[in-house]
Amino acid sequence: MLRILCFVYLCCSIALAAAEMKQAATGANDQAESSKLAIPQPRIPPGYQPIDRNTEKGLWMELEDYELSIQQSALLITDEPINAYVRNAACRVAGEYCGDLRVYVMRNPGFNAMMTANGVMQIWTGLLVRVSSEDELAAVIGHELAHYTQLHTLERLRRIQSNLATSSVIDLLIGLPLSQMAAVANIMSFNREQEEEADLLGVRFMHDSGYDPRAAVRVWEMLVEEEANAAAKSEAANIFTQTHPLSEQRIQTISDFVEKNYPDAATTTPDSSSHLAILNRYYLLLMEDQIDTNRYGRTETMLKHHRELGVNPGLIDFFYGEMYRQRKAEGDLERARQAYERAIQSDDTIAEAYRNLGYIQLKLDRPELARARFRKYLELEPDADDRAMIEFYLEE
Amino acid sequence: MKMRHVFYCCLLLLGGCVTFAAVPPGEVQLSGLTVTPQNSWNQAPREWTRLSRRDAKTWTKNGILLDRILIIPAVPDGEPLFLQTSESQALPRFNAGMLPNELAEFTESSIAKLFGEGGAVVETSGLRPQRFGADKGVMFDIEVKVSDGPDYKGVAGTLIVGNKLYTIIFIGAEPYYYTESVDEATALIKSARVAIPQ
Repeated sequence: MLRILCFVYLCCSIALAAAEMKQAATGANDQAESSKLAIPQPRIPPGYQPIDRNTEKGLWMELEDYELSIQQSALLITDEPINAYVRNAACRVAGEYCGDLRVYVMRNPGFNAMMTANGVMQIWTGLLVRVSSEDELAAVIGHELAHYTQLHTLERLRRIQSNLATSSVIDLLIGLPLSQMAAVANIMSFNREQEEEADLLGVRFMHDSGYDPRAAVRVWEMLVEEEANAAAKSEAANIFTQTHPLSEQRIQTISDFVEKNYPDAATTTPDSSSHLAILNRYYLLLMEDQIDTNRYGRTETMLKHHRELGVNPGLIDFFYGEMYRQRKAEGDLERARQAYERAIQSDDTIAEAYRNLGYIQLKLDRPELARARFRKYLELEPDADDRAMIEFYLEE
Repeated sequence: MKMRHVFYCCLLLLGGCVTFAAVPPGEVQLSGLTVTPQNSWNQAPREWTRLSRRDAKTWTKNGILLDRILIIPAVPDGEPLFLQTSESQALPRFNAGMLPNELAEFTESSIAKLFGEGGAVVETSGLRPQRFGADKGVMFDIEVKVSDGPDYKGVAGTLIVGNKLYTIIFIGAEPYYYTESVDEATALIKSARVAIPQ
């Protein structure tokens, strides 16, 4: 139910919205007149409450149930430091709209952020693991906030309703298998004009709250790079992969908007320290979920960014080892061995690096080296839950 | 004549209605894999398990959303644990050279995909060696956190014989359904024997 409502109501799935933009753009002129780069204004005041008796109030009532299901979800992250970090960034970029927001961090390796018409904002951990700074996080939040202040969800709902015999979109959608939800989401996604308005107003929110507006450009550039790497390995096949040209156009529009309206915005290197602290603190959780997606091109792109960003090298090398070991391309076994060897040389290594290096040595038919690594693993992790398995190899 | 055609069509449709089939206690053979349930289970029709491999079986006591045993015999080298309906799913593929840790990771990632990528977090723990008759295999515990459903716990057994993978997975909703069947499911997993036809 949560997933269904998610697709029906949520203000934005950035990847899907990009596809909608591509469709809308087909046949449209590639206009970039300066008038389109004017600074948008929010349509609703802070503290906004629904006005329209039917559609809007009904939507808010449904969304209250939806918010309850988020609060009860097993994938809601309740750990305070990561929530405080995201909440503070959201509140800062929202400015006087801060009181309208409820921010939830959800455990999901996908890149996404969403905001409902009644102020519920979800940030997926897959977003946190991709952006490089608080400014870039604020760029995505600003975009979502703009959808909220422009009542885009309501517009979208009315557009759908006007084309349907039924007055309830939910009636139509409940019961659909999850495999068809992507198609539904595509119908429900924002149109090109709404996306562009959210892009530009989001940049304004960023600038007004003291964030670097150019971070919005960097977020899109990062996504384009990830998609390129994923496509190169025939693994992406998601809707975003088809949007390279449009993403480049989108980047150009945002860049032109920043240069025109905020030419004096800081051009210094962004401060990544607060984001880096969060990544280091939650890196195991974030990357284990990513590894489980089995999407190695994306994982490799992330690891490259994280190394440049300064994430603890022991953790980076450990996950390079994980990625190579599970990818199993030609030469990956040796690459994995080298990565684990680097990981255990690092001050911030983890016990699992010794264990997995031991397994690699087994594969390389070096049982003595394997046993040495296994012994070190148990020395560091005497209560390991897989102790019986490791002892089996030590005694074999 | 037309009425008769309508009657036959109705008969065919009714005949196609999906039903659960009882699995009595005792030895059950599936593509070279033999398991011995101690009590009765209910075998789900294929319509309920559309992501299962052709020769895989799903058994349940109280309904597959509450508890289920997945029996997946003879997965060949290079194939996924479940049916892959599109390349974009990126299901992990079995490799006959997998070591115990990789078998647990493979199962973990496959189950995560079964629940829908991003819709669940799956973790395995307690990896341990297990003999299945003359064959060496492993067992491990499973925890599944679902975005919009109950938490699940479970246990799995897996072994490679003749370059093919044999897997039995039990998961039950926490706390009642897992606790109710975990001992019986564990015994069923340990009863697994593989006999490759000559």
